[in-house]
Amino acid sequence: MVLDLISQFAQVLVFGLINGSVIAVGAVGLTLSYGVTRFINFAYGEFLTYGAFLAFLVATVGGAPVYVATIVAMAGVGVLGVVIARIFFKPIRERGPLPLLITSIGVAFLLRNLMRGVAGTDPQSLPVPLIRPISIGGVQISPVGIAVFVVSMLAMGAIHLLLTRTMLGRKMRATSGNRQLARVSGIDTDSVIRRTWFVASAAGGLAGVLLAVQFPPFRPITGWRFLLVVFAATILGGIGKPYGAMAGALIVGLAMSLGSFYVSGSYTLAYAFAILVAVLLVRPEGIAGGEI
Amino acid sequence: MAIELPGMVSFLLSMTTLALIYALLALGLNVHYGYTGLLNFGHVAFFAAGAYTAAIVTIPPPGTVSGGADYAIGLGVPMPFGVVISLGASALVGGILALLIGLTSVRLGNHYLAIATFALAGIFEEFIRNEAWLTRGVIGLNNVPKPGRSALGADLWGLVYMLFAAALVVGTYLVIERLMGAPFGRLLKGIREDEQAARMLGKSTSQVKLKSFAIGGAIAGIAGAVYAHYIGSVVAGQFIPLVTFLVWVAVLLGGLASNRGVILGAFVLIAFREVTRFLPEIEGYPTLVPSLRFAVIGLLLVLVIRFKPEGLLGNPDELVTTGDDT
Repeated sequence: MVLDLISQFAQVLVFGLINGSVIAVGAVGLTLSYGVTRFINFAYGEFLTYGAFLAFLVATVGGAPVYVATIVAMAGVGVLGVVIARIFFKPIRERGPLPLLITSIGVAFLLRNLMRGVAGTDPQSLPVPLIRPISIGGVQISPVGIAVFVVSMLAMGAIHLLLTRTMLGRKMRATSGNRQLARVSGIDTDSVIRRTWFVASAAGGLAGVLLAVQFPPFRPITGWRFLLVVFAATILGGIGKPYGAMAGALIVGLAMSLGSFYVSGSYTLAYAFAILVAVLLVRPEGIAGGEI
Repeated sequence: MAIELPGMVSFLLSMTTLALIYALLALGLNVHYGYTGLLNFGHVAFFAAGAYTAAIVTIPPPGTVSGGADYAIGLGVPMPFGVVISLGASALVGGILALLIGLTSVRLGNHYLAIATFALAGIFEEFIRNEAWLTRGVIGLNNVPKPGRSALGADLWGLVYMLFAAALVVGTYLVIERLMGAPFGRLLKGIREDEQAARMLGKSTSQVKLKSFAIGGAIAGIAGAVYAHYIGSVVAGQFIPLVTFLVWVAVLLGGLASNRGVILGAFVLIAFREVTRFLPEIEGYPTLVPSLRFAVIGLLLVLVIRFKPEGLLGNPDELVTTGDDT
């Protein structure tokens, strides 16, 4: 009896971890772009949607394996992010964060409806093989879930290495800390911002694919819906802070999993936001944007 | 495609009524964003609160209607004069909800406020969808009385109700103009321009922001009641983030802190949305044209911000400048 309860709890934790690992990829990407561009990008959810649909296109029409489709989707969404930033955000960059934020909402609406117009509203799923879950001590884990978790951890590791071990990472941190100072120190901040857009959007694309794999099916509105969850994780960790975003994502993932199992299954977002609002109320000043 | 004249007239009437409802919403958001600089991305929650309040106040008590009317509360305030009670209650509930949401988030920086309001509206939507004992969720409360319709008949009622909505818009406009010309309005603008300075002058800025939040929320609540009595039903699917987005476009298009501007913005936007409904469908792509209509609205928002940030009737010197801090 007690053992059952424990394995049930472990099961919920495992779901939460996998859920959190999907959120983490999106949250780190969003927070990276905030760190360098200094505005909250409401169009970020569309990068997830476009990632999922691009992977779907490559995998079904192109017939490529899912991992190849994932890489193509990341690259494609990365380029999309750079192009979007050039067309919509760069021209009003000097006007402060508010016009940028509002513009991003318009961009989100534009992208989402373009996708809806072309792809329709039917639910789609990636051709991921159905594999029987393996059982470890009474806890059921699907190999697909494990794969999602591992890919997410690899992505986190890659971003950690990028920030700490590469020249680009150092330039990103410098630009985030003080753009003027970075510029007079000889850093080409325009190029750094462009590359940050690529990395952040590609992370969004990957998050979209992971979301599509772990929680099928997906629609053109999937990314926009998930954006709320990504926001919660990002803010929880302190916006602009990648390691905070990872921790925040884990907490949000676990909260959603525990809440929907032990409290009520009909609410999911509410758990993420109950935590978020609680944190905002206790430390509204302590989570102000930081440097990367 | 030929539309008969009476059909055309009733189409124009219903479009005007919808535009008036959006004008009320836009007037409310203008108090928040245009005057006070508060980034409220959860406006639809106040609209929904008002609509459900109007419904619950006026639908017949549970059990008196045959055919699966399994809601828990229905006060059955008699029509047509009960509509006054219904509007009052909706304003109250919209205002209180705004106050509650404001209490959690007005102290936050602007960016956090944007996300907090967006999120809280999302939770409110989940609440409406799930608490079916009260709201009947996705089935909806479908017997909200339309005040005076049985006495006047459908056509005349459409005209009278439109005039009723117009009177409310004019009344709200006058009240807001008066309020915003008073010292209170100048204080709101002061907070928008420089909250630190307002605080230095001894103003309790959090309290003033809360008042602004409550006023705008109450106006959105009234809009909800007008909507509920016009459509005759309230369903969870009506109160989605799209509504918030459309109101934002109306406000930004019309002009910040310009009440005439945001009313104009609401009319332009709703006219565009309703007229483009009649665009022909492209063979094989049923979602293409309907989606492009909304993509155009998204693009419009982007273009307004970039090329005419003060909007159609706004004053360029009054651009909202808050949010430079994070």
